[in-house]
Amino acid sequence: MSTLIIIDQPPYGSWEGREALDMAFSLAAFDQPVSLLFCGAGVNWLRKGQDAAKVHQKSIERNLSAAPIFGVEALLADSHACDQYGLVETELLDQATITDFGPELTARFDHVAFAG
Amino acid sequence: MSNSLPEQTKTPAPAGVFTLVITGAPYSSQAPQTALQFAHAVLAANKRIDRVFLYGDGVHLASSLSSPPSDELNLSEAWAAFLAENNIPGVACIASALRRGLVNESERQRYELTASNLRAPFEIAGLGEWVDSTASESRVLYFHKGG
Repeated sequence: MSTLIIIDQPPYGSWEGREALDMAFSLAAFDQPVSLLFCGAGVNWLRKGQDAAKVHQKSIERNLSAAPIFGVEALLADSHACDQYGLVETELLDQATITDFGPELTARFDHVAFAG
Repeated sequence: MSNSLPEQTKTPAPAGVFTLVITGAPYSSQAPQTALQFAHAVLAANKRIDRVFLYGDGVHLASSLSSPPSDELNLSEAWAAFLAENNIPGVACIASALRRGLVNESERQRYELTASNLRAPFEIAGLGEWVDSTASESRVLYFHKGG
């Protein structure tokens, strides 16, 4: 049973994405195949060099870098959203892959869930 | 009409068992109310709900302290009654719950808090309960704040 969790919320303006990340890590901890897709404002999660100290939050960059170690299979970035936010591949975390978000992608998973 | 909705024919029939995940809070979103109406419809159709999982702001639904005006539906009370009458487990995610001030008696003691406020029959448990549902045959439906 493979799962795709979609995060379309910006990294620091909402807690919903962080709680979706917890869902992904839980699946991985129970040996369930899981991938994360970032779309819309969510692609900003994948930016390199984040510093969240000034908003008194932990940088999510470290969490995301550890995702493959925890067993999350892929960190996917929607190409349209990357264009929209001016992000090119070299500006994304090394583990991220740019992809096209559409029915072909979601059809590869048994279970698709959006962050709140 | 050779090209009329070809994808529809591939859509599987609704499964007989549902898991409901509620992430929208009561009174600031429609999610718990829509989910309750859906839950009634599931049972009326002789299908089953294996679990209701509260996540994110949805955990506020399990608070025993919510006190809406008397002419408004008390959603926490309505959900608790529905779960108890139909013997359906209602689980609030522990991480979401603790962040939002929803605690049972054992968490109250663990964190030395002044009160506990979990409404029976809701329970507090980990995301493993949700993982269990996604890995099962049940159809998992999400009720977010927009719905």
